Amino acid sequence: MDILPQLLVNALISGSIYALASSGLAIVYGLLRILNFAHGHLMMVGAYLFFFAHVQSGLNLFLSSIVTIVLTIVVAFASLKIFVLPFTRFSFFLVFVTTLALSTIFESAISMIFGVNVKSLSIGYELTSYEVFGIYITPVQILIIASALVLLGLLGFVIHCTSFGRRVRALSECQHGAQALGVGVDRTNYFIFTAGALFAAYAGILVGFETNIQPTMGNAYTIKAFAAMILGGLGNVWGTIAGSYILGLIENLSIGLDFGSYSIPAGYKDAFAFAIILLVLLFRPQGLFKKATRSA
Amino acid sequence: MDYGIHLLILICIYTILAQGLNIPFGVGHLFNLAHVAVYAVGAYTTALFSTELGIGFWGCIYSSMAIAGLFSLFIGGISLKLSHDYFAIGTIAFSSVISALLINWKSVTRGVLGIPGIPRPELFGIDFYENSNFLVLVAVAMVIVQFVLYVFLRNSYGRTLRAQSEYEQGALSLAKNTVRARTVSFLISSCAAGLAGSFYAYYINYIDPSSFSLVEMIFVLTIVVVGKPGSFWGITASTAFLVLLPEPLRFIDIPPSILGPMRQMLYSLILFGVVWWKKETLFPVERTV
Repeated sequence: MDILPQLLVNALISGSIYALASSGLAIVYGLLRILNFAHGHLMMVGAYLFFFAHVQSGLNLFLSSIVTIVLTIVVAFASLKIFVLPFTRFSFFLVFVTTLALSTIFESAISMIFGVNVKSLSIGYELTSYEVFGIYITPVQILIIASALVLLGLLGFVIHCTSFGRRVRALSECQHGAQALGVGVDRTNYFIFTAGALFAAYAGILVGFETNIQPTMGNAYTIKAFAAMILGGLGNVWGTIAGSYILGLIENLSIGLDFGSYSIPAGYKDAFAFAIILLVLLFRPQGLFKKATRSA
Repeated sequence: MDYGIHLLILICIYTILAQGLNIPFGVGHLFNLAHVAVYAVGAYTTALFSTELGIGFWGCIYSSMAIAGLFSLFIGGISLKLSHDYFAIGTIAFSSVISALLINWKSVTRGVLGIPGIPRPELFGIDFYENSNFLVLVAVAMVIVQFVLYVFLRNSYGRTLRAQSEYEQGALSLAKNTVRARTVSFLISSCAAGLAGSFYAYYINYIDPSSFSLVEMIFVLTIVVVGKPGSFWGITASTAFLVLLPEPLRFIDIPPSILGPMRQMLYSLILFGVVWWKKETLFPVERTV
């Protein structure tokens, strides 16, 4: 009875979801120096928009994806314009407080519209799991792993090989220097925040197909994305993505492996992310992967 | 009449809680998001000590404050190593660890079932099951806490705390012990939170983890932000205002499943509105040379 390969695959699946959710948070931190506490809630909102379009309105996959993308872009634009940008000039407290307020506004609005019950997106799909070398995996899980690789690869290409990516990197290295050389700050901020929200919404939809969604899921994913970001170093995108997979690995191995009478009950799975945050913050605050930063 | 007394008791409990948060958050500008977790620790301490061990009122009150104070040392330890956004994340992580423990450590906290049947105290032959008597008890506690915090804000600790929030290097260069001021501020604020939790457990007679979620934290945060962080009477006034504000909603015919989210939405909109309105002066940017 060897469950290690299955655990590793599960770690890869949850790591992919965390990576999609946290990469947006990391780039936004790099650009705006803000901690967006509503990031996990953007994920939840995206999943519910898809639920509205696909399950409630009965649109097909393609049409409902387009509806979700358009609505998510609107939500992300409005969040950035109303809740973040007016406050970035002032104390960092303000953005933290406004995004906290935004997160509860999202949560309560969704609970009022859709109810607090658990919803699933995979209604009407017959999901059979395949068995490969003794590892059980469903088509949705294959989609999660593959699309995370594709999207993160795309992100890497945009950031490292295009002129837009060069502007993003310049802004996150030194905003004033980049601004003096003619890089448009606001345009880049809007674009990156929206892209991060779309990644998060996609992760939320995948969670909805894989398990289920509910209005209170936002907080847990926000904190997990923070944990991944702190593991990798604040604002360090590749470190954050690596941190996401490490987080998935730690969660699955600690719960799955049998330590005899010291086995950890599955209820504590979420607590690991929080404990990791505390330990890393106290002993290695710059993150596991140190980023070479330049300062003026 | 009973309803009015119920609201007054809630106002007293929340005043103790919010005045406690005002010390590190409002005066010291330390974004402590673990305040409600410490409040939960106080409430669970009282609940467990009075139902399992049968300890009386004074024992429960003091041990709630002492255990909450112990947790504050940990928060103070985080604040020494981390600053600004790191400290905020650290305290969120800390409060999430506490709520995960409350939900999962079933052998002690009974998980999501909560702890029922916490007996009201009986002192000096007075029966505190009568809500009006209990109101007097809580009001006395509130006045004492307010007095202690008022004195704290106006002695050298309070001044040092205020100074380090504006310009820490400056305070250090004048030989102010900022570490001690911060630690003492966390200690006092956590003791207040533990006391509030203890009274909450005695009053409601039943506690479960859902009463101490992040939503509750946002409510307390809203109280402090609306009352102007760092002010003293403002917090007391805004507690009364915000506890009473959603009460008219009860008399409108709304299904309860909508009422809870509506209350949450109202508070977060108020929080956002006040921050928007006062964004220049709410938290002045730290002074730099």
